[in-house]
Amino acid sequence: MSSKVTIGSDIRQARRAVEQLRMEAGIDRMKVSKAAADLLQFCTEQAKSDPFLVGIPATINPFKEKKPCAIL
Amino acid sequence: MSELDQLRQEPEQLKDQIRDARKACADATLSQITNTDPVGRVQTRTRRTLRGHLAKIYAMHWGTDSRLLVSASYTTNKVHAIPLRSSRVMTCAYAPSGNYVACGGLDNICSIYNLKTREGNVLAGHTGYLSCCRFLDDQSDRYRLWRHHLCPVGHRDWPTVSGACDASAKLWDVREGVCRQTFTGHEPDINAICFFPNRDAFGTGSDDATCRLFDLRADQELRTYSHDNIICGITSVSFSKSARLLLAGYNDFNCNVWDALKADGAGVLAGCLGVTDDGMAVATGSWDSFLKIWN
Repeated sequence: MSSKVTIGSDIRQARRAVEQLRMEAGIDRMKVSKAAADLLQFCTEQAKSDPFLVGIPATINPFKEKKPCAIL
Repeated sequence: MSELDQLRQEPEQLKDQIRDARKACADATLSQITNTDPVGRVQTRTRRTLRGHLAKIYAMHWGTDSRLLVSASYTTNKVHAIPLRSSRVMTCAYAPSGNYVACGGLDNICSIYNLKTREGNVLAGHTGYLSCCRFLDDQSDRYRLWRHHLCPVGHRDWPTVSGACDASAKLWDVREGVCRQTFTGHEPDINAICFFPNRDAFGTGSDDATCRLFDLRADQELRTYSHDNIICGITSVSFSKSARLLLAGYNDFNCNVWDALKADGAGVLAGCLGVTDDGMAVATGSWDSFLKIWN
């Protein structure tokens, strides 16, 4: 009795694994040349607005150190 | 041949099919395409040190306003308490709208919770524990979701990406509760995962001391970021705003900055880490219980 149950659930698990792989095998894939070119285009277009690449002027840096307060 | 025998043979055939299909698309490499100038040295300084945690910081995430950030250690104050099936949680992420939370851990499951209705949705499917997960976008309107869920490459949908300790990264369609794509390439555990800002790709960091870039539309790995001198695992990864830089935190308490296109090192920061949405700063959290903000 218990071995039938085990086989039953083995089959269900195997079926699920096969269905999942069938789905993943069936997707449309883009050529790497196109996908990579798109990523490069994105990086190039965004580079001007990337603070880590162009630097951040102290005037607009939200995290610059606050000046110490001078006690007169 | 019994049905079970047949079902056991098919996975290998299907995996071969997937591998061949990916090869057929590999008509170029990222290095061939990206013939740009190198990025130059990235200089940063610590701008803030946030003290207050009493213990190791395990995770952090910036809010979309680039001003607030949440961090987790053993002694945090709770805003939402969500009872989970498993007590061993290793990762969590807020959806951009703040309405959903995804989490997972040693139960091998990625669970999504709706903070308003308190309903949970379970995405099972990893064979190892979940080390990191992130939301793509939950702002799509209903019509667009239905139209795209019929299309297998559902990254414009509503998915989330998870990396686990079965060495695979998976793309999930959260509304359908299914895995759409599985990416292998790392050998041991994947500890960190982060989307490219335009969501067409993602970066991972692993115990094999490499970071990798995977493209969702080409369904394969495009680049590995490694160096013979780097032998320790990566705990967290994040892209800069243009994604030209991949920042990775390593187990030796260093943070390396990679040129994502050319795979050269571009700098070192001295822990988990995350870049703000507006790209203005990176935060690193460490086992010394401090959070530092750099730019």
